[in-house]
Amino acid sequence: MKAIPHQKELQHLYWRTGFGPKPEQIAQAPRQLQKEVKQVFASAEAFTPLQVQVTPYGADAKKELLANERKLLMQQARQELIKINTSWINRMAVSEAQLREKMTFFWHGHFACRTQRPDFALNQNNILRQHALGKFSDLLLAVSKDPAMLQFLNNQQNRKRHPNENFAREVLELFTMGRGHYTENDIKNAARAFTGWGYDAAGNFVFRQKAHDTGSKTFLGKTGNFTGEDILQIILDNPQTAAYITTKICRFFINEQPSPTITQELSRKFYQSGYDIEDLMYTLFRSDWAYAPENIGNRIKSPVELIVGLQRTFAIDFQDPQALIVLQRALGQVLLYPPNVSGWPGGINWIDSSSLILRMQLPQALFAAGKINISLKDDDIDMVPQLSLAERTFNRRINARVNMQAWQALLRDTPDKQLIQQTAAFLLQPGLHVHLAEKLQQETTDAARPNKINLLALRLCSLPEYQLC
Amino acid sequence: MANKSRREFLKTSALASSLLFVPKFLQALNADQTLERLAQSNGKRLVVVQLGGGNDGLNTVVPFRNDIYYQGRPGIALPQNKLFSLEKDLGLNNSMKGFKSLFDEGELGIFNSVGYPNPDRSHFRSMDIWHTGSSATEYLDTGWLGRYLDSNCHTCATSYNGIEVDDTLSLALKGEHKKGLAVKDPKKLFRAASSPLYHQLPQPQSSGEELDYLYKTLTETTSSTAYIYEKSKIYKSSVTYPNTEFSKNLKTTAEFICSGVDSRVFYVSLSGFDTHVNQNRQQAHLLGEVSDGLLAFVQDLKQKDQFKDTLIFVFSEFGRRVHQNASNGTDHGTANNVFLIGGGLKKAGVLNDAPNLQTLEAGDLQYQLDFRNIYATLLDNWLQADADIILGKPFERITGVI
Repeated sequence: MKAIPHQKELQHLYWRTGFGPKPEQIAQAPRQLQKEVKQVFASAEAFTPLQVQVTPYGADAKKELLANERKLLMQQARQELIKINTSWINRMAVSEAQLREKMTFFWHGHFACRTQRPDFALNQNNILRQHALGKFSDLLLAVSKDPAMLQFLNNQQNRKRHPNENFAREVLELFTMGRGHYTENDIKNAARAFTGWGYDAAGNFVFRQKAHDTGSKTFLGKTGNFTGEDILQIILDNPQTAAYITTKICRFFINEQPSPTITQELSRKFYQSGYDIEDLMYTLFRSDWAYAPENIGNRIKSPVELIVGLQRTFAIDFQDPQALIVLQRALGQVLLYPPNVSGWPGGINWIDSSSLILRMQLPQALFAAGKINISLKDDDIDMVPQLSLAERTFNRRINARVNMQAWQALLRDTPDKQLIQQTAAFLLQPGLHVHLAEKLQQETTDAARPNKINLLALRLCSLPEYQLC
Repeated sequence: MANKSRREFLKTSALASSLLFVPKFLQALNADQTLERLAQSNGKRLVVVQLGGGNDGLNTVVPFRNDIYYQGRPGIALPQNKLFSLEKDLGLNNSMKGFKSLFDEGELGIFNSVGYPNPDRSHFRSMDIWHTGSSATEYLDTGWLGRYLDSNCHTCATSYNGIEVDDTLSLALKGEHKKGLAVKDPKKLFRAASSPLYHQLPQPQSSGEELDYLYKTLTETTSSTAYIYEKSKIYKSSVTYPNTEFSKNLKTTAEFICSGVDSRVFYVSLSGFDTHVNQNRQQAHLLGEVSDGLLAFVQDLKQKDQFKDTLIFVFSEFGRRVHQNASNGTDHGTANNVFLIGGGLKKAGVLNDAPNLQTLEAGDLQYQLDFRNIYATLLDNWLQADADIILGKPFERITGVI
């Protein structure tokens, strides 16, 4: 087994527990990995809600609106959703609480949800952030009583006389246990227990006693007059829930195909801890397995991770909310708009010919003011109403400021001879192979500092290797 | 810094092109392989046309003898004198002159009331279901045509076996191992893929699955775009198409087909069918665009004797409610009609019963035919693929049509 350089391990930690290192972090990195793991967790302790000015749309829900009033309101709501999206991106890039933001991002993919109401979206986002490193049981209950989720999974329509199974089904299939561990009958009975769970116009959870089925239910082998809370507790009592969540976390944070022995062990500990997420994450990132060579540089960055990663490394200031949305859409991941309740599939699903080319064009567009020319599909009109081709076409430069100061400072004392290797060590987690190093060497011999540093950053970020972390 | 480093970059890029490492995936791609594959296939190709937004099928193929239709739609129902008469008491929206002539030639087939159980009325989710070929309660990561590419050409080193004429790739064309190629403008894509920043990169000595996958995709993209760009110069269409983006994309498709691009699946979309307000004008305009564009496309293919081997499948993610809304529009519904256009149809015309407006479910049409029965038939009878594997379970084939 090859020894992994200390710097690579630290960068690995920053990528997996956050959105990649800032040059300052690399420069100041401590000698001990475990010390920095502690620091990562300490920085994530504080919960600061994301704050965006949104209209409380429920206030006059009963008021009859004229068609054009409704249209204006919808436009305003979309603008606010965009604002939440870009504020969140910015938060990911600048927050000190990297792990909390990364977990919030993970839970957003796990409890994948869409809503047209900005107030609901923001509220849900902060629920995920608040419980991101808390107890999974608290998170599950909070999400289950969250108006955005109840609306998305039709539980508002789940009534004693007309049960709607959608919510109960997804809680079991996607949020807690996974397929194969319950029956259709369990879903039916769980759905009955969730009858009456809804929300009011202002977005408060409401339990409608009259719509609730108080009768006896049999669920996962137990029988009783269960409420929704009882069902969630029975689900949590089942170790399969710990196994399912642990596996998903290992797949997201470490390896798409995690070692079963290690996940089993982590899952047992997670269950015993009463579903303590922070404890699970801490155990995970203190383990040797998390830094095994096969687990470094093997994760395809999601579009958001790619964008935010660039933003952090090169202190990019996007003054262009439209471009940020266009990039997310063209690359296949728009925050607040997961494809469906099962979230983004991830991994190699991110990559096809056009998305890969765009990923590799992106650094040039940011560093060298290259143009992005792309027409988006008009395929998401649940959220964005029908747009003309002109409105869907983005053909211009991205308005963003790149600040290379910290990056230049990081490499200031690196001798010319080592510049390629050192830059690659900072930017490419899978490493730079020898032919490519030779090629770059020949191409950059004429370049002089400080441009050489910039040019190398551009070249290396435009490589397939940069898509990995 | 931006401008300076750009100059620097331009200066070095000339140098970059002189360093040619031939990637191993390119080496594997030779002419013999392509020819062999063509010989194995039956030469049939499928063109999928997606109408996004939920086209109102009831005002496209109109049940003009049905009172319920007129009662439910006082502001937007189309009178018989504004329709092209078909059969089974159905008439075609008169903006679709091109479709009417295809119908008369026996080159157009219509299936009514196509849908799936527990229909979803969200655009995105319903389109997701049509793209993946899933049921309403399952979530798949791959598209039905992507899985066709997987099954047909698992080992091919090319991504142009399925082509979407657009800038980005739809889920429908994403398989587990193989993905189609999105190309709207071959020249533009060729230029993008030829950027000295990442063109002809030396291959890494395999260090991991993910990195291999990225290099493989990059190499496929580079070689595919070069292939398509070169090929597409062979045939330039002389047929006059309507001056719309959709028709332009159809023209590009015809040029690919007639130039002999080795793809068996093509994908083209038109959106804007979400007609909640003042529907009739907007829909007539769009249906005219579909009909005129596809008529020109068919004429183009006929000139090069390619129509007999081409089947066009036109669908939308859902139909609309039977009753109109208060704004002379229609809201999201369920089952809908789909069209098949081809020179090799065994049976054309109205292929099943007219929609049943009497027995509705919550005001919506009930489906008569699951869309996956059509997928299975297209995959099996037309593309000669294993539909059961691609769709994950057996769906009955429709006999006597394809």
